[in-house]
Amino acid sequence: MLTLIIFIPLLTALALIFVARENTGVIRAAGIGATTATLVVSLWILFTFDTSNPGMQFVQSAHWVPALHINYLVGVDGISLWMVVLTAFLGVISLLLSLNQKKNLRDFVALMLALEAGTLGVFMALDTILFYVFWELMLVPTYFIIGIWGEGRRVYATMKFVVYTLVGSLLMLVAIITLTMVHYGATHEVTFDLRILAHTHIDPFMQAWMFLCFFVAFAIKVPVFPLHSWLPHAYVACPIPALILLTGAMSKTGAYGLLRFCLPLFPDAVDSMALVIGFMAASGMVYGAWIALAQRDIKSLVAYSSISHLGFIVLGIFAQNGEGIEGSVLQMVNHGIIASALFIIVGFIELRMGTRNLGELKGLSKSMPVLYGVFMLVMLAALGLPGLNGFVGEFLILMGVWTSNLLAELAGILVLMGGLSIVFASIYMLYMFQGAMQEKPNSENVSDINSGEFKLLLPACLLILLIGLYPKPFIDRVSPSVDSLLHLEKTVNLEAGKDSGHH
Amino acid sequence: MFASSWLILLFPLAGFIFLSWYGERVSKTLVGLIGCGSVGAAFLTSLAALSDLLFLPAEERVGRVEVLYQWISAATFKLDLAILVDPLSVFMFLIVTGVGFVIHVYSIGYMHDDPEYSRFFSYLNLFVFSMLVLVAAADFFFLIVGWALVGLASYLLIGFYKEKTSAVLAARKAFVMNVIGDVGMVIAAFVIFESFGSLNFIEVFSAAPGTFRLNDDQILLITLLLLVGAFAKSAQLPLHTWLPDAMEGPTPVSALIHAATMVTAGVYLVARCHVLYELAPFTMYFIATVGVLTAAFAGTMGMVQYDIKRVIAYSTMSQLGYMFLAMGIGVYSLGMFHLMTHAFFKALLFLAAGSVIHALDGEQDIRKMGGLRKVMPLTHATFLIGALALAGFPLTSGYFSKEAIILSSYHADMGNFVFWAIALITAGMTAFYIFRVYFSTFIGQTRSPEAHPHESPASMAVPLVILAVLALGGGFLSPLVDSFLAPVFGREVHHFHDGILETIALLAGIGGIATAALVYQVSKDRIELMKEAFAPLYDLLFHKYYVDELYDLLIVKPTKAIGSFMEERAEKQGIDFAVDEVGFQVKEVSRGISFWQSGRVRTYALNMVAGMVIILLFVVFL
Repeated sequence: MLTLIIFIPLLTALALIFVARENTGVIRAAGIGATTATLVVSLWILFTFDTSNPGMQFVQSAHWVPALHINYLVGVDGISLWMVVLTAFLGVISLLLSLNQKKNLRDFVALMLALEAGTLGVFMALDTILFYVFWELMLVPTYFIIGIWGEGRRVYATMKFVVYTLVGSLLMLVAIITLTMVHYGATHEVTFDLRILAHTHIDPFMQAWMFLCFFVAFAIKVPVFPLHSWLPHAYVACPIPALILLTGAMSKTGAYGLLRFCLPLFPDAVDSMALVIGFMAASGMVYGAWIALAQRDIKSLVAYSSISHLGFIVLGIFAQNGEGIEGSVLQMVNHGIIASALFIIVGFIELRMGTRNLGELKGLSKSMPVLYGVFMLVMLAALGLPGLNGFVGEFLILMGVWTSNLLAELAGILVLMGGLSIVFASIYMLYMFQGAMQEKPNSENVSDINSGEFKLLLPACLLILLIGLYPKPFIDRVSPSVDSLLHLEKTVNLEAGKDSGHH
Repeated sequence: MFASSWLILLFPLAGFIFLSWYGERVSKTLVGLIGCGSVGAAFLTSLAALSDLLFLPAEERVGRVEVLYQWISAATFKLDLAILVDPLSVFMFLIVTGVGFVIHVYSIGYMHDDPEYSRFFSYLNLFVFSMLVLVAAADFFFLIVGWALVGLASYLLIGFYKEKTSAVLAARKAFVMNVIGDVGMVIAAFVIFESFGSLNFIEVFSAAPGTFRLNDDQILLITLLLLVGAFAKSAQLPLHTWLPDAMEGPTPVSALIHAATMVTAGVYLVARCHVLYELAPFTMYFIATVGVLTAAFAGTMGMVQYDIKRVIAYSTMSQLGYMFLAMGIGVYSLGMFHLMTHAFFKALLFLAAGSVIHALDGEQDIRKMGGLRKVMPLTHATFLIGALALAGFPLTSGYFSKEAIILSSYHADMGNFVFWAIALITAGMTAFYIFRVYFSTFIGQTRSPEAHPHESPASMAVPLVILAVLALGGGFLSPLVDSFLAPVFGREVHHFHDGILETIALLAGIGGIATAALVYQVSKDRIELMKEAFAPLYDLLFHKYYVDELYDLLIVKPTKAIGSFMEERAEKQGIDFAVDEVGFQVKEVSRGISFWQSGRVRTYALNMVAGMVIILLFVVFL
C-alpha cells in the first residue's frame, strides 16, 4: 500500500511527459486523479493503522542494489503516519490550486506530483539511502518550480534554496555512509536498514559529529534559526500552490528527520547538545516573530511567522519527553494546516487586489464577508487561541519544555521566550488581519471568494476546530511510537553505560 | 456522561453557531428571539442547577464534576473535557446568564437599526458562552480556554464597528493585553502540573495543603502567575489600559463586559483558587494592595472625565479594586457578593447611560447634556438608583456589599488602617464622580437645544426596571449568598460590626454626593478657575496618569524599533548577507582555482610535470 502512495504521483508525473501540452483536460484529470487516489490510499492506511502497535507497520521491502545491501524499504509508525496523511491532503489542495496555472500547466502539474512523491517518500523510507534519494528528489521539482514559475528574484531565491539545502544533504550523505561503516565495524554486516542501525552502539565522539551532520541537514530544511535565510526568499518567490507543499509538508521533513534519525541514533549527542539547540530554536521563535512585526508584505509576514512556529516544533523535540515530542508532532500537523491555509488566503487576496502590501490593503471585510470569517478562524488558530488546534500543540510543547530534564537549566527562559513569541504572534496576526480586512475600505467592488475557493479552505477550518476540540485521536496514534522512541534511547544508553563500565 | 448542566453552556453556543451561519438570512425578530432565548434558556437551566444544589444537605454541596469525554492523553498529561458544578460556579452561572439575558433583551431595542444586527447577537452569545466555559471549567486548562475565548469575544465586540479606526485599535489593545494575561496563566498551569501532576481543580486543591508550606517559592510563583491573568482580565494595575478604550464598542457590550462577564473573571479566579492563595499570604497581601490602589487610582481618574461611559468604566475598575481587596484580606464571599451587586448596578448604569446616548443620537459628552430628568423620567429614575447603589447609599445593594468590604479591610485579620483609609477615600470619590455625572446629565437645563431626546422603547425600558429593582433590593440577599457559598470557602464569612467606622463610611458616601451637588451649583467660571489652579494635577488625571503614553514610549515604540532594526541589520545585512558572502567567496575561490583548468594542453602538461617533480622531491627527501 505504501508503495502505491509514493508511486501513484511519481508515475503520473512521468506519464504526463507523454501528454501534449495543449491537452489541459487530460492533464487536469490526471493531476486530480493521482492526488486524490494518493489521499484515499493514505486515509485507508490511517484507518487500518494499528494504534496500539508502536513499531513500523505496512512495511514493504524489495532488493534494490543487492551488492551494497541497499533496499527499497518503506513503512510507517505513529510519527510518520500523520505526516503521510498531511502530505497527501495538502497534495490534493495544492493541485486543485495549481489548475489555474496558465503557463505550461503540464510541467507544473508533473513537478508538483514529483514534489509530493518525494516528500511522501521521505516520510516512509526506512532505508537510509532510500531516504537520501527521496530527500534529493524533493529538491529538484522545487528548484524548477521556483525558478520558472516564481515571482520577483526567483532565480536568486531558487539558487539560494538549492545550494543551501545541498550543503546540508551532502553532509547527511557522509553521515549516512559513516553510520553503515560504524555498524559494519561492530557487526561485520552491511545494512542501511534504519531499524537495525538504531541499535548500533556509537562512541560519543563519533555520535557528536555524525549528529551534527544530520542536524545541519535537517535544521536547514526546517529551518532552524540562524540557518533560515533561504526561507523568506524562497517562500516569497514561490508560487502559492507549491508553497503549500513547501511549508505544509516539506518543512516537516526536517523536523521528522530529527525525530527519525537524530534522536534514536545519537542519544548521547542529543543529551549534550539539547540545551544549545533548544536555545537556538527558542531564539528563532522570538526572532521570527519579531521580524514578522516589521513586515508590510503579508506573504513575507506569514513566512516569518512560519519560522517562529517551526521553532516551537524543534524546541519540543529537544525537550525529549512525551509531552514535548507528541506536542511537536501534533504541531507539525497543525502548522501544515494553518500555514497552508494562510498562504491560500494570501493568494486569494493578491489575486483580487493585485497587491500584498498592507499599506494598500484595507477594509476588505465589507466586500468579502466569507473570506473574513475564514481568515479570522485561521488567523486565530495561528496565533494560538486556546480552544483551537494551534494552542494544543504549543501548550504540550511548552509543558514538555517546562518539565524536561534536558532543558531544565533554561526551562524558565525558554518558556518565557515561547510566551513572548505567542504575544508577538497575536500582535502581528491582528496587525495583518485587521490591516487587510478592517477599517474603511478603499474600494467597494471586490468579489468574495467563490464556493470552489471556499471548499479549498473548508477542510482546513474543520480540522482546526476538530483538533482543538478533540485532540485525543490524533495524539493516541502518536503516543506509542513516541514512547518506544524514548524507551529505545534509554536502552541504548544503558548498553553504552555497560560498555564503558567494562573498559 | 451528559448531565443537564451541560445545557447551560450549549444553549448560548447553539445560539452563536446558528446566528453566525443563518443570522443574515432570517428575520430580525427571529434573530432577537434566538439571541435572547438561548441565554434565557441557559438562565433557566442554571436555576434548575441551583435548585438541585439547594436540595442537597449543605455538607454535600462541595461540587460535582461532569465529564463529557477524555480530551487528551499525551504521556503523563491526561485531561477530560469536564465541567464543575458547585455553589461557586452556579452562582456565577446565575449572574452571567441572568444579567446577560437582561442585556440581550435591551440590545434588541438599542441595536435595532444597526445593519449588522445578527452579527451583534451572535457575538453576544459567544461572549456569554465563553464566560460560562470560564466559570464552568473543572481544570486549569479549560479555565484558560474560557479565559481566551472571553478575550476573543471582547475583541470582536469592542471592535464591532470595524470600519472605525479607533475601535479597531482598541480591540487589538484589549486582545493583546489579554494574551499577556493568558501567557501568565499558561505558565502557571505548567508550574501547577509540575507540582501536582494534574490540572484538575479538585485534585490540585485537595493536594495543595499537603504539598506546600506557607509562602513556598513554588506556590508564590503559581499564585503570582495566575494573577497576571487575573489582573489583565480584571483591568487592575498595571494591566488596566485596555478598559477605558473598550468603550469603543456599543453600549450593551460595555454593560456585558463590565457587569456580567469578563472583568469579574479575575475575581472569580482568586475565589476559585482560594486554597492556593491561602498558602501564599504574601500574594494575598499583594492582591489587597493592588486592589485598593487600583480602586483609588481609577477613582481619581473618574473624577475628571467628560465622557459618560468613561466615567462609568473607571468606576468599574475602581469597584473591581474593592473586590480584589476583599479577596486579598480573605473575605471571599463578601467579594463575591460585591461582584453580584456590582453586576446589577453597573449593568443598570451602563444601560441607562446607553438610553441617554441613544436618545441624544450618540452624544457621550456630559458637558452637552442636561435637564434630561423631564424628558426621560424612567431613565432618570433608574440611573439615580444605579448611582445611589454605586455610591453606597444606605439600603441600596451597593451599601451592603461595599460597606462590608470597607469594614473588613480594617477589622479582618489581614486588614489594616491604610487599606481602610484608602478604601474610604475612594468611596467618597466614587460618590462624587457618579453624582457629578448625574447632576450634569439629568438636572438643570438642556445644553444642546437642537437635540430632541425621547424616552426609550419598552425593550430597553423593561430591562432597566428589572435591574433597578435588583440594584435597589439586591443587598438583602447578603445572608443567603454567604450561606450558599460557605461550602466552597469552607466557612461562613464573619460580618463585622463597628458603629463608628460604619458611620464614617456612610458619611464619606453622602459627603461625596453633597460635594458633587455643590460643585454643580458653582458657576462655570469658578470651575475653570479651579481647573487652572490645579492645572498640572488636572492634566495628570485627565490623561490617565500618562500610563498609555508611558507604555507607548517604553514598550510599544522600542518593540517596533527593534523589529525594524533586526529586519534591516540582523536579517538582511547580517545573516542573509553572511550566507550570500559564503557563496560568493566559494565562487571567488573556484574562479581562482579554475585558472588551472584552462583547457590548454600545454598548461596541463606543465602542471603534470610540476606535480611529478613535487612528488619525487617528497619521496626522495622524506
